[in-house]
Amino acid sequence: MLFYVTRRLLSAVVTVLLASVMVFAAVQLLPGDVATQVLGQDATPEAVAALRDQMDLNRPAVLRFLDWIAGVVRGDFGVSLVSGEAVAGTLWLHLRNTMLIAVATVAVAVTSSIVLGVLAGLYRDRWPDTVISTLTLIGMSVPEFVVATLLVLALSITVPVLPAVVLDEASAPVADLLPAIVLPTVALSVVMTAYIVRMTRTSVIDVMAGEFVTTARLKGIGTARVVVRHALPSALLPTLNVIAMNVAWLVGGVAVVENVFNYPGVGQLMLEAVHNRDLPVLQAIAVVSAVVYVLCNLAADLGAMALNPRLRTGERSTR
Amino acid sequence: MPRSPGSAGNPPQVPRRTALLGGAGAFGAAVLLPGCGSSGRDEAPPIPEGAATGTTADGGVLRMARPPASQAETLDPASSLSAYEYLGALYNRLVRMDESGQVTPDLATEWEPSEDGSTWTFRLRDGVTFHDGTPFTSADAAYTLRRIVDPGLASPQGTVLEPLIDPNGLGTPEPGVLVVGLKEPNFEFPALLTSYHCYVIPEDSGDTIGRSGIGTGPFRLDTFSPGGRGRVVANGDHWEGPPVLDAVEMFAMTDIQARVNALMAGQVDLVSQTNLDFATARVVGASERATIARSVNAQWYVLPMLTTAEPFTDPRVRRAMKHAYDPRLVIDVALQGTGVVGNDNPVPPDTPYWTDHALEHDPDRARALLAEAGHENLRVDLYTSSYDPVFTPMALAYRDSVAEAGIDVTVRNASADSYYTQIWMQRPLMATYWYTGRPADQLLNQVFRSGSSYNETAWSNADFDTLLDDARRTADEDRRRTLYQDAQLLVVEEGGAMTPMFADRLVGLSRDVLNYREYGFEFDYLNIGLRP
Repeated sequence: MLFYVTRRLLSAVVTVLLASVMVFAAVQLLPGDVATQVLGQDATPEAVAALRDQMDLNRPAVLRFLDWIAGVVRGDFGVSLVSGEAVAGTLWLHLRNTMLIAVATVAVAVTSSIVLGVLAGLYRDRWPDTVISTLTLIGMSVPEFVVATLLVLALSITVPVLPAVVLDEASAPVADLLPAIVLPTVALSVVMTAYIVRMTRTSVIDVMAGEFVTTARLKGIGTARVVVRHALPSALLPTLNVIAMNVAWLVGGVAVVENVFNYPGVGQLMLEAVHNRDLPVLQAIAVVSAVVYVLCNLAADLGAMALNPRLRTGERSTR
Repeated sequence: MPRSPGSAGNPPQVPRRTALLGGAGAFGAAVLLPGCGSSGRDEAPPIPEGAATGTTADGGVLRMARPPASQAETLDPASSLSAYEYLGALYNRLVRMDESGQVTPDLATEWEPSEDGSTWTFRLRDGVTFHDGTPFTSADAAYTLRRIVDPGLASPQGTVLEPLIDPNGLGTPEPGVLVVGLKEPNFEFPALLTSYHCYVIPEDSGDTIGRSGIGTGPFRLDTFSPGGRGRVVANGDHWEGPPVLDAVEMFAMTDIQARVNALMAGQVDLVSQTNLDFATARVVGASERATIARSVNAQWYVLPMLTTAEPFTDPRVRRAMKHAYDPRLVIDVALQGTGVVGNDNPVPPDTPYWTDHALEHDPDRARALLAEAGHENLRVDLYTSSYDPVFTPMALAYRDSVAEAGIDVTVRNASADSYYTQIWMQRPLMATYWYTGRPADQLLNQVFRSGSSYNETAWSNADFDTLLDDARRTADEDRRRTLYQDAQLLVVEEGGAMTPMFADRLVGLSRDVLNYREYGFEFDYLNIGLRP
């Protein structure tokens, strides 16, 4: 167990390192020049040259990368090329805001999708399954920004009950942001739920056909108890990984939805950074996303262990 | 300017962001259209012509969505990253430009040149105070100009004024008199001070102005956060009298769809510095809460031919390209018939120095010129991008229009993100635009003069340069106008820029906003108000 966790942590570090190397290389390949982007396009060539010097852009990329890695180890993500402020502070604020949406989305999506997935699995090929499966297929096919636009149309413009965009900035108190997370959360939940429902349904169908479920039924246990006590833990095993992947996707991949709602999260910060060629910010986001990704997968694996009846019994017998 | 703005443009980010999620924006419009349109699908609702006017409520708060210049934007007017919307509310210039392109008083009440035009004397307004209570004097004006021409500051307007203003020639004989000594005679000088980089700031405030925003304008700064939200409140002591509104709240929104959604949902009252595409404009115009106003002739569209690249090194080819297309067709397609013909002349129609000289649409003449130049059946690539919604329709209309003259144009789509670093001034032929609002002298010098950094056609014509120099040295206004018109004539006949049209900016605003008025780089903060 300990060996397993250690090995996973080591591979996590390697993954994070590789991710930052790749992002660094990719940003170097982007067309355009950091100095030009930073100064705005009506900057004079002289000003651009001066800034290039000031930002050390004339040094070899490898050296700049090594310097940066050394800083990150000490918890210093460097200074934004655009605002001149420490990257870490800005990033944590935006990460906090994205986490607000992420946590809400996960709570809504996981709950509803497990309920729907189990229902669909139990009522396989009957009308509840048909309805749920059709809806999830639609949810999977429609991109989240379209869902977002439709939600704005329905709930902000036609019936104005919720704000269409966030007027607050990243440093706003959480309480101020709460009304603004409803629409992004719903938009993201729709897409996320669709994936998890599909997975849960398949899983439930598999497990319900299993011998141990049949045995439990033969023992005379009621359907509800069979599902909750016996089938669900097994059925959730493969679903966990899908949930983990989705949580990680939420942190790095909500850029478009955040922009539609002008929500000051990591996605918006990332788009902004890409546009401005703000290398330190981009790299910090890449590293943090990689960390979240790895952690989520780790958590999923550990969670799978906890849910796995064989592993659980194994632990009991060694005690 | 081109990237818009070049030196005098508004924040360059504006159109760039448009491109970012252009697809999403277009989709949003498509979804919204059936939902909001009051008339049928086949008959698109018309786009309103002008903003509502009338008696406003006393006070009120206007909420404005704006594209941030950058996360590092500043209230320093001289900076290339100035937060444009705040400037007009917070500051005044010495002189401003009226709707007809004439230079009119702002903090200076009158001005006159010395006999040879090498020294200008500005008489300043009495009894004007900055927001912090200190009186405005000629020392502040001198400081402002000295700062703009300081190469260390790298102000965009510095490249225009630095060759003219002698920093040691700035004199303040009296608190109410500013003397500007020039390096060489220039009778057109005051017009160059109408730039939005020339707002007057208090003496020695250079290090703090970016955050403090202390000026003499109709509003004073309450809060400001770069790339975030901010608020300006009415300045009751303003020398023109207090503004109608109590306050203006500004919200930075990077995404154009977010700005439009905020307007449609009633979260903001005005979307600033955003040219809505026609589909979105119709949706906004047909909605209950919002409508459309126009900033007339706010931008001019260009197809610049790089005169240093084949085949456009030959003036006959350039001329053939101009004769070959029909600007009316381009306007009908790209602007849905609402623009004004540009006649390959970038000076806005009906401004003081404008000439109506034009090359007629003549495909046969184009064909003959090409034959003469040895370029029959000319094939060229024309680059466009989603940077601005008009680029591609304009390029396609041009392609169709010149086919009759035997010119085979291939329209190529380039990435909007790097359009102004990889395509502009790099490819022989592309689509672009500039914001109007700079005086004729400045635009001709910046965009067409040999060696100027914004000379997008790399055109170099000694006669043209001489005409501009002569014009600046000419005291007589009629004579000066003739020289500027002769210079435009050269641009039309020999230059590399095809200017098919001038277009209005379609501005989204709430139906509750009254007396919205904006032209060039002037926004009327004093009279704008809300419906009672």
